[in-house]
Amino acid sequence: MDVSAQLEAQKSKYKSINVEKQVPLQFDLGLLAGFDVNALEENKLKVETDNYLKSYTRDGTQLLINEIFRLPLTSVQDVGVVAELPKIVTAIPREKPLPKPKPPTRWERFAKLKGIKKNKKSRLIYDERRGEWVPRWGYKGTNDDGANEWLNEARHRRNIEEVEIDASQQLNSAQPQLKSKVNAKVLKKTELRRQITMAKTSTASLGKFDKPVKGEPSNTKGAKRKFESNLGDIQKEKEARLSILNKIIDKKGEILNVRKAIAKNNQQN
Amino acid sequence: MRPLTEDETKVIFEKLTKYIGNNVLHLIDRSDETYYFRLHNDKVYYVSDSMLRQAVSIGRDQLASLGVCFGKFTKSKKFKLHITALDYLAQYAKYKLWIKPNGEGSFLYGNHILKAHLGRITEDTPEHQGVIIYSMSDIPLGFGVTARSMVEIRKLKPTDIVAFHQADIGEYLREQDTLF
Repeated sequence: MDVSAQLEAQKSKYKSINVEKQVPLQFDLGLLAGFDVNALEENKLKVETDNYLKSYTRDGTQLLINEIFRLPLTSVQDVGVVAELPKIVTAIPREKPLPKPKPPTRWERFAKLKGIKKNKKSRLIYDERRGEWVPRWGYKGTNDDGANEWLNEARHRRNIEEVEIDASQQLNSAQPQLKSKVNAKVLKKTELRRQITMAKTSTASLGKFDKPVKGEPSNTKGAKRKFESNLGDIQKEKEARLSILNKIIDKKGEILNVRKAIAKNNQQN
Repeated sequence: MRPLTEDETKVIFEKLTKYIGNNVLHLIDRSDETYYFRLHNDKVYYVSDSMLRQAVSIGRDQLASLGVCFGKFTKSKKFKLHITALDYLAQYAKYKLWIKPNGEGSFLYGNHILKAHLGRITEDTPEHQGVIIYSMSDIPLGFGVTARSMVEIRKLKPTDIVAFHQADIGEYLREQDTLF
Protein backbone atom coordinates (compact mmCIF):
# COMPACT_ATOMS: atom_id res chain seq x y z
CA MET A 1 0.00 0.00 0.00
CA ASP A 2 1.51 3.25 -1.00
CA VAL A 3 0.60 6.05 1.35
CA SER A 4 3.12 8.57 0.13
CA ALA A 5 0.51 10.33 -1.94
CA GLN A 6 -1.76 10.75 1.04
CA LEU A 7 1.16 11.97 3.10
CA GLU A 8 1.98 14.51 0.43
CA ALA A 9 -1.62 15.69 0.41
CA GLN A 10 -1.53 16.03 4.20
CA LYS A 11 1.75 17.91 4.16
CA SER A 12 0.60 20.38 1.52
CA LYS A 13 -2.26 21.46 3.77
CA TYR A 14 0.20 23.03 6.16
CA LYS A 15 2.96 25.53 5.64
CA SER A 16 6.57 24.46 5.73
CA ILE A 17 8.29 23.98 9.04
CA ASN A 18 11.37 25.68 7.73
CA VAL A 19 11.20 29.42 8.11
CA GLU A 20 13.54 31.88 6.46
CA LYS A 21 14.63 34.84 8.53
CA GLN A 22 17.22 37.47 7.78
CA VAL A 23 18.51 37.55 11.34
CA PRO A 24 18.15 34.27 13.17
CA LEU A 25 16.10 34.42 16.36
CA GLN A 26 17.57 34.37 19.81
CA PHE A 27 15.97 31.88 22.18
CA ASP A 28 15.67 31.63 25.95
CA LEU A 29 14.07 28.23 26.20
CA GLY A 30 13.92 28.36 30.00
CA LEU A 31 11.32 31.11 29.53
CA LEU A 32 9.95 29.48 26.35
CA ALA A 33 10.74 32.75 24.62
CA GLY A 34 12.19 33.70 21.28
CA PHE A 35 13.47 37.19 20.48
CA ASP A 36 13.05 38.38 16.90
CA VAL A 37 15.01 41.50 15.80
CA ASN A 38 13.98 41.37 12.18
CA ALA A 39 12.32 44.46 10.75
CA LEU A 40 8.65 44.26 9.88
CA GLU A 41 7.60 44.92 6.28
CA GLU A 42 5.94 48.30 6.42
CA ASN A 43 3.81 48.13 3.30
CA LYS A 44 2.36 44.72 4.22
CA LEU A 45 1.71 46.01 7.75
CA LYS A 46 -0.27 48.95 6.42
CA VAL A 47 -2.23 47.13 3.75
CA GLU A 48 -3.10 43.69 5.08
CA THR A 49 -2.32 44.07 8.83
CA ASP A 50 -4.20 41.08 10.24
CA ASN A 51 -3.00 38.45 7.80
CA TYR A 52 0.57 39.68 7.90
CA LEU A 53 0.73 39.70 11.68
CA LYS A 54 -0.91 36.28 11.79
CA SER A 55 1.64 34.73 9.42
CA TYR A 56 4.50 36.52 11.21
CA THR A 57 3.39 35.11 14.54
CA ARG A 58 3.02 31.67 13.02
CA ASP A 59 6.58 31.82 11.70
CA GLY A 60 7.98 32.84 15.07
CA THR A 61 6.06 30.15 16.93
CA GLN A 62 7.20 27.53 14.41
CA LEU A 63 10.82 28.47 14.97
CA LEU A 64 10.33 28.29 18.74
CA ILE A 65 8.76 24.87 18.53
CA ASN A 66 11.57 23.69 16.25
CA GLU A 67 14.00 24.81 18.92
CA ILE A 68 12.05 23.00 21.67
CA PHE A 69 12.17 19.79 19.69
CA ARG A 70 15.94 20.11 19.56
CA LEU A 71 16.08 19.71 23.39
CA PRO A 72 16.59 16.25 24.95
CA LEU A 73 13.17 14.59 24.94
CA THR A 74 11.99 11.97 27.41
CA SER A 75 8.81 10.00 27.56
CA VAL A 76 6.90 10.39 30.82
CA GLN A 77 4.04 8.07 31.84
CA ASP A 78 0.50 9.50 31.53
CA VAL A 79 1.86 12.78 30.17
CA GLY A 80 3.64 11.92 26.97
CA VAL A 81 6.81 13.29 25.46
CA VAL A 82 8.49 15.93 27.60
CA ALA A 83 11.42 18.22 26.86
CA GLU A 84 13.86 19.31 29.55
CA LEU A 85 14.09 23.10 29.51
CA PRO A 86 17.46 24.70 30.19
CA LYS A 87 18.03 27.33 32.84
CA ILE A 88 16.71 30.86 32.33
CA VAL A 89 19.34 33.11 30.78
CA THR A 90 17.56 36.47 30.57
CA ALA A 91 17.72 38.69 33.59
CA ILE A 92 14.15 39.48 34.66
CA PRO A 93 13.50 42.49 36.89
CA ARG A 94 12.10 42.01 40.48
CA GLU A 95 8.39 41.68 40.91
CA LYS A 96 8.41 43.42 44.30
CA PRO A 97 10.94 45.94 45.69
CA LEU A 98 13.73 44.86 48.06
CA PRO A 99 12.55 44.43 51.69
CA LYS A 100 13.37 47.34 53.96
CA PRO A 101 15.61 46.45 56.93
CA LYS A 102 13.40 45.96 60.02
CA PRO A 103 14.11 48.18 63.04
CA PRO A 104 15.70 46.22 65.91
CA THR A 105 13.26 44.99 68.55
CA ARG A 106 13.32 46.19 72.13
CA TRP A 107 15.24 43.09 73.19
CA GLU A 108 17.70 43.40 70.34
CA ARG A 109 18.41 46.99 71.33
CA PHE A 110 18.92 45.98 74.92
CA ALA A 111 21.16 43.05 74.05
CA LYS A 112 23.26 45.24 71.83
CA LEU A 113 23.56 47.81 74.57
CA LYS A 114 24.58 45.30 77.21
CA GLY A 115 26.71 43.26 74.85
CA ILE A 116 24.64 40.09 75.45
CA LYS A 117 25.47 37.38 72.98
CA LYS A 118 23.36 34.30 72.37
CA ASN A 119 25.28 31.21 73.51
CA LYS A 120 23.95 28.02 72.12
CA LYS A 121 24.60 25.32 74.72
CA SER A 122 25.75 21.98 73.39
CA ARG A 123 23.84 18.85 74.43
CA LEU A 124 26.94 17.02 75.64
CA ILE A 125 29.41 18.38 78.13
CA TYR A 126 32.63 16.88 79.41
CA ASP A 127 32.08 15.58 82.94
CA GLU A 128 35.45 15.73 84.72
CA ARG A 129 34.52 13.26 87.39
CA ARG A 130 33.18 10.61 85.06
CA GLY A 131 35.79 11.39 82.46
CA GLU A 132 33.46 11.25 79.48
CA TRP A 133 31.04 13.28 77.44
CA VAL A 134 27.58 13.05 79.00
CA PRO A 135 24.33 14.91 78.26
CA ARG A 136 23.91 18.18 80.07
CA TRP A 137 20.38 17.12 81.10
CA GLY A 138 18.18 14.05 80.78
CA TYR A 139 19.06 10.35 80.83
CA LYS A 140 22.49 9.70 82.36
CA GLY A 141 23.10 13.39 82.40
CA THR A 142 24.86 15.60 84.88
CA ASN A 143 21.70 17.47 85.89
CA ASP A 144 20.09 14.85 88.13
CA ASP A 145 20.57 16.61 91.47
CA GLY A 146 22.59 13.74 92.86
CA ALA A 147 19.76 11.23 92.52
CA ASN A 148 22.03 8.35 91.59
CA GLU A 149 24.78 9.17 94.03
CA TRP A 150 25.48 6.62 96.69
CA LEU A 151 25.89 9.39 99.24
CA ASN A 152 24.21 12.76 99.38
CA GLU A 153 24.87 15.28 102.06
CA ALA A 154 21.74 16.81 103.51
CA ARG A 155 21.75 20.32 102.18
CA HIS A 156 18.18 21.65 102.23
CA ARG A 157 17.67 22.20 105.92
CA ARG A 158 19.54 24.96 107.66
CA ASN A 159 22.07 23.58 110.09
CA ILE A 160 21.30 24.07 113.73
CA GLU A 161 24.53 25.95 114.28
CA GLU A 162 23.55 28.53 111.71
CA VAL A 163 20.19 29.05 113.41
CA GLU A 164 21.81 29.45 116.78
CA ILE A 165 24.29 31.90 115.43
CA ASP A 166 21.49 33.89 113.86
CA ALA A 167 19.50 33.86 117.09
CA SER A 168 22.42 35.25 119.08
CA GLN A 169 23.22 37.80 116.41
CA GLN A 170 19.69 39.09 116.48
CA LEU A 171 20.57 40.66 119.82
CA ASN A 172 23.21 42.73 118.07
CA SER A 173 20.91 44.29 115.54
CA ALA A 174 23.79 44.75 113.09
CA GLN A 175 22.87 41.49 111.40
CA PRO A 176 19.66 41.15 109.36
CA GLN A 177 16.70 39.31 110.96
CA LEU A 178 15.80 35.67 110.26
CA LYS A 179 13.03 35.40 107.72
CA SER A 180 10.90 33.11 109.90
CA LYS A 181 10.84 34.09 113.53
CA VAL A 182 11.95 30.80 115.09
CA ASN A 183 13.02 30.17 118.60
CA ALA A 184 16.44 28.52 118.38
CA LYS A 185 15.84 26.35 121.46
CA VAL A 186 12.47 25.06 120.21
CA LEU A 187 13.93 24.43 116.81
CA LYS A 188 16.75 22.42 118.30
CA LYS A 189 14.32 20.29 120.30
CA THR A 190 12.08 19.48 117.34
CA GLU A 191 15.10 18.92 115.18
CA LEU A 192 16.55 16.47 117.68
CA ARG A 193 13.23 14.68 117.98
CA ARG A 194 13.10 14.36 114.25
CA GLN A 195 16.63 13.02 114.08
CA ILE A 196 15.85 10.50 116.79
CA THR A 197 12.78 9.25 114.91
CA MET A 198 14.78 8.98 111.74
CA ALA A 199 17.58 7.08 113.45
CA LYS A 200 15.10 4.81 115.16
CA THR A 201 13.37 3.74 111.97
CA SER A 202 16.55 3.31 109.99
CA THR A 203 17.10 -0.25 111.15
CA ALA A 204 16.29 -3.31 109.11
CA SER A 205 12.92 -3.85 110.83
CA LEU A 206 12.08 -0.12 110.83
CA GLY A 207 12.47 0.15 114.59
CA LYS A 208 9.50 -2.12 115.36
CA PHE A 209 11.29 -4.55 117.66
CA ASP A 210 13.50 -2.14 119.56
CA LYS A 211 13.26 -2.18 123.31
CA PRO A 212 11.11 0.81 124.31
CA VAL A 213 12.92 3.50 126.25
CA LYS A 214 11.32 4.78 129.44
CA GLY A 215 9.37 7.99 129.00
CA GLU A 216 9.49 7.99 125.24
CA PRO A 217 6.14 8.38 123.44
CA SER A 218 5.63 5.16 121.51
CA ASN A 219 3.11 5.79 118.74
CA THR A 220 4.29 8.99 117.14
CA LYS A 221 2.63 8.54 113.77
CA GLY A 222 -1.12 8.11 113.36
CA ALA A 223 -2.33 4.54 113.23
CA LYS A 224 -4.30 3.25 110.29
CA ARG A 225 -8.10 3.32 110.80
CA LYS A 226 -9.34 -0.03 112.05
CA PHE A 227 -12.86 -1.37 111.90
CA GLU A 228 -14.29 -4.26 113.84
CA SER A 229 -14.99 -7.47 112.02
CA ASN A 230 -18.33 -7.68 110.26
CA LEU A 231 -19.50 -10.85 112.01
CA GLY A 232 -17.76 -10.21 115.28
CA ASP A 233 -18.70 -11.18 118.78
CA ILE A 234 -22.45 -10.66 119.20
CA GLN A 235 -22.39 -10.03 122.92
CA LYS A 236 -19.51 -7.63 122.75
CA GLU A 237 -21.14 -5.56 120.06
CA LYS A 238 -24.46 -5.48 121.85
CA GLU A 239 -22.87 -4.42 125.08
CA ALA A 240 -20.85 -1.70 123.35
CA ARG A 241 -23.95 -0.34 121.68
CA LEU A 242 -25.95 -0.39 124.87
CA SER A 243 -23.28 1.46 126.74
CA ILE A 244 -23.19 4.17 124.08
CA LEU A 245 -26.96 4.43 124.18
CA ASN A 246 -27.02 4.70 127.93
CA LYS A 247 -24.53 7.51 127.82
CA ILE A 248 -26.72 9.42 125.41
CA ILE A 249 -29.90 8.81 127.35
CA ASP A 250 -28.30 9.81 130.62
CA LYS A 251 -27.30 13.07 129.06
CA LYS A 252 -30.81 13.70 127.79
CA GLY A 253 -32.77 11.99 130.54
CA GLU A 254 -32.54 14.87 132.96
CA ILE A 255 -34.10 17.38 130.61
CA LEU A 256 -37.10 15.24 129.77
CA ASN A 257 -37.91 14.46 133.34
CA VAL A 258 -37.76 18.08 134.39
CA ARG A 259 -39.99 19.15 131.57
CA LYS A 260 -42.57 16.52 132.29
CA ALA A 261 -42.49 17.33 135.94
CA ILE A 262 -43.20 21.00 135.24
CA ALA A 263 -46.04 20.10 132.85
CA LYS A 264 -47.58 17.76 135.35
CA ASN A 265 -47.24 20.36 138.03
CA ASN A 266 -49.04 22.92 135.89
CA GLN A 267 -51.79 20.44 135.16
CA GLN A 268 -52.39 19.76 138.78
CA ASN A 269 -52.59 23.43 139.66
CA MET B 1 -20.09 -3.58 104.58
CA ARG B 2 -18.75 -2.90 108.02
CA PRO B 3 -20.03 -2.27 111.53
CA LEU B 4 -20.30 1.34 112.67
CA THR B 5 -17.51 3.02 114.57
CA GLU B 6 -18.19 4.49 117.98
CA ASP B 7 -18.58 8.00 116.65
CA GLU B 8 -20.95 6.90 113.92
CA THR B 9 -23.04 4.89 116.41
CA LYS B 10 -23.25 7.90 118.67
CA VAL B 11 -24.51 10.10 115.84
CA ILE B 12 -27.13 7.59 114.81
CA PHE B 13 -28.39 6.90 118.32
CA GLU B 14 -28.65 10.59 119.03
CA LYS B 15 -30.77 11.01 115.92
CA LEU B 16 -32.96 8.07 116.84
CA THR B 17 -33.43 9.15 120.43
CA LYS B 18 -34.77 12.43 119.10
CA TYR B 19 -37.72 10.51 117.71
CA ILE B 20 -38.14 7.49 119.92
CA GLY B 21 -36.26 8.40 123.06
CA ASN B 22 -34.94 5.53 125.11
CA ASN B 23 -36.94 3.01 123.09
CA VAL B 24 -33.79 2.72 120.99
CA LEU B 25 -33.02 0.02 123.51
CA HIS B 26 -35.66 -2.16 121.88
CA LEU B 27 -33.85 -1.83 118.58
CA ILE B 28 -30.56 -3.06 119.97
CA ASP B 29 -31.75 -5.52 122.56
CA ARG B 30 -34.33 -7.66 120.87
CA SER B 31 -35.92 -10.84 122.20
CA ASP B 32 -36.30 -12.78 118.95
CA GLU B 33 -33.06 -12.22 117.05
CA THR B 34 -30.14 -9.88 117.36
CA TYR B 35 -30.29 -7.06 114.87
CA TYR B 36 -27.28 -5.06 113.81
CA PHE B 37 -26.54 -1.73 112.22
CA ARG B 38 -24.20 -2.06 109.31
CA LEU B 39 -22.68 0.55 107.04
CA HIS B 40 -22.54 -0.06 103.29
CA ASN B 41 -21.85 2.62 100.69
CA ASP B 42 -22.47 5.38 103.25
CA LYS B 43 -25.94 3.97 104.05
CA VAL B 44 -26.90 2.48 107.39
CA TYR B 45 -28.85 -0.78 107.34
CA TYR B 46 -30.71 -2.43 110.17
CA VAL B 47 -30.35 -6.14 109.56
CA SER B 48 -31.02 -9.35 111.44
CA ASP B 49 -28.25 -11.75 112.32
CA SER B 50 -29.37 -14.50 109.92
CA MET B 51 -29.76 -12.00 107.08
CA LEU B 52 -26.34 -10.58 107.79
CA ARG B 53 -24.63 -13.92 107.58
CA GLN B 54 -26.14 -14.45 104.17
CA ALA B 55 -25.32 -10.98 102.96
CA VAL B 56 -21.67 -11.35 103.89
CA SER B 57 -21.12 -13.62 100.92
CA ILE B 58 -22.26 -10.98 98.42
CA GLY B 59 -19.52 -8.83 96.98
CA ARG B 60 -19.25 -5.14 97.76
CA ASP B 61 -20.15 -3.98 94.28
CA GLN B 62 -22.93 -6.51 93.89
CA LEU B 63 -24.67 -5.81 97.19
CA ALA B 64 -27.37 -3.22 96.57
CA SER B 65 -29.23 -3.18 99.87
CA LEU B 66 -29.84 -5.36 102.89
CA GLY B 67 -32.39 -5.43 105.66
CA VAL B 68 -33.98 -2.05 106.32
CA CYS B 69 -32.19 1.11 105.26
CA PHE B 70 -32.43 3.52 108.17
CA GLY B 71 -30.67 6.41 106.53
CA LYS B 72 -27.37 7.57 105.16
CA PHE B 73 -24.29 9.50 106.10
CA THR B 74 -23.72 12.62 104.06
CA LYS B 75 -20.30 13.67 102.81
CA SER B 76 -19.80 15.77 105.91
CA LYS B 77 -20.58 12.77 108.12
CA LYS B 78 -24.03 13.98 109.17
CA PHE B 79 -26.72 11.34 109.47
CA LYS B 80 -29.95 11.74 107.52
CA LEU B 81 -32.87 9.53 108.53
CA HIS B 82 -34.82 8.11 105.61
CA ILE B 83 -38.53 7.34 105.40
CA THR B 84 -37.68 3.64 105.17
CA ALA B 85 -37.07 3.70 108.93
CA LEU B 86 -40.67 4.77 109.55
CA ASP B 87 -41.94 1.35 110.58
CA TYR B 88 -39.54 1.14 113.46
CA LEU B 89 -39.93 4.75 114.46
CA ALA B 90 -43.71 4.50 114.41
CA GLN B 91 -43.64 1.41 116.64
CA TYR B 92 -41.67 3.08 119.36
CA ALA B 93 -42.74 6.69 118.89
CA LYS B 94 -42.77 8.90 121.93
CA TYR B 95 -44.34 12.03 120.47
CA LYS B 96 -47.05 11.75 117.86
CA LEU B 97 -48.87 14.19 115.68
CA TRP B 98 -52.10 13.52 113.85
CA ILE B 99 -53.08 15.53 110.79
CA LYS B 100 -56.51 16.07 109.32
CA PRO B 101 -57.46 14.58 105.95
CA ASN B 102 -57.22 17.95 104.23
CA GLY B 103 -53.63 18.31 105.40
CA GLU B 104 -52.54 14.84 104.38
CA GLY B 105 -52.13 15.69 100.73
CA SER B 106 -49.99 18.71 101.43
CA PHE B 107 -47.71 16.83 103.77
CA LEU B 108 -47.34 13.88 101.43
CA TYR B 109 -46.07 16.23 98.75
CA GLY B 110 -43.29 17.38 101.02
CA ASN B 111 -44.73 20.54 102.56
CA HIS B 112 -44.53 21.51 106.21
CA ILE B 113 -47.53 21.03 108.48
CA LEU B 114 -49.62 24.13 109.16
CA LYS B 115 -51.78 24.66 112.16
CA ALA B 116 -54.87 24.30 110.00
CA HIS B 117 -53.90 20.72 109.25
CA LEU B 118 -53.19 19.79 112.82
CA GLY B 119 -55.59 17.25 114.27
CA ARG B 120 -54.13 16.00 117.52
CA ILE B 121 -50.78 16.07 119.20
CA THR B 122 -49.38 14.24 122.23
CA GLU B 123 -49.50 16.48 125.22
CA ASP B 124 -46.44 18.30 126.45
CA THR B 125 -44.44 18.14 123.22
CA PRO B 126 -41.48 20.46 123.53
CA GLU B 127 -40.14 22.69 120.78
CA HIS B 128 -37.86 21.12 118.13
CA GLN B 129 -38.89 17.67 119.15
CA GLY B 130 -38.90 14.82 116.66
CA VAL B 131 -42.43 13.63 116.05
CA ILE B 132 -44.01 10.84 114.04
CA ILE B 133 -46.87 12.01 111.91
CA TYR B 134 -50.03 9.96 111.58
CA SER B 135 -53.24 10.35 109.66
CA MET B 136 -56.46 10.49 111.63
CA SER B 137 -56.88 6.77 110.97
CA ASP B 138 -53.58 6.06 112.71
CA ILE B 139 -51.55 5.31 109.59
CA PRO B 140 -48.00 6.54 109.96
CA LEU B 141 -47.32 9.08 107.21
CA GLY B 142 -43.85 10.26 108.04
CA PHE B 143 -41.88 12.20 110.59
CA GLY B 144 -40.93 15.73 111.34
CA VAL B 145 -39.74 18.21 113.93
CA THR B 146 -42.05 20.48 115.88
CA ALA B 147 -41.67 24.18 115.24
CA ARG B 148 -43.17 25.34 118.52
CA SER B 149 -43.97 23.79 121.83
CA MET B 150 -47.48 22.66 122.68
CA VAL B 151 -48.16 25.73 124.69
CA GLU B 152 -47.30 28.11 121.86
CA ILE B 153 -49.15 26.15 119.20
CA ARG B 154 -52.45 27.22 120.72
CA LYS B 155 -51.63 30.86 120.05
CA LEU B 156 -50.64 30.37 116.40
CA LYS B 157 -52.56 31.47 113.30
CA PRO B 158 -53.95 28.73 111.06
CA THR B 159 -51.34 29.40 108.41
CA ASP B 160 -48.32 29.14 110.71
CA ILE B 161 -46.04 26.15 110.51
CA VAL B 162 -46.47 23.71 113.37
CA ALA B 163 -44.05 21.00 112.32
CA PHE B 164 -41.22 20.88 109.80
CA HIS B 165 -41.34 18.09 107.27
CA GLN B 166 -38.45 15.62 107.48
CA ALA B 167 -39.71 12.59 105.58
CA ASP B 168 -43.02 11.34 104.28
CA ILE B 169 -44.22 8.18 102.58
CA GLY B 170 -44.68 10.12 99.34
CA GLU B 171 -40.90 9.94 99.08
CA TYR B 172 -41.19 6.32 98.09
CA LEU B 173 -42.33 7.67 94.75
CA ARG B 174 -40.43 10.94 94.64
CA GLU B 175 -37.03 9.77 95.84
CA GLN B 176 -37.06 6.21 94.50
CA ASP B 177 -33.46 6.36 93.34
CA THR B 178 -31.83 7.57 96.53
CA LEU B 179 -33.86 5.94 99.28
CA PHE B 180 -32.41 2.46 99.48
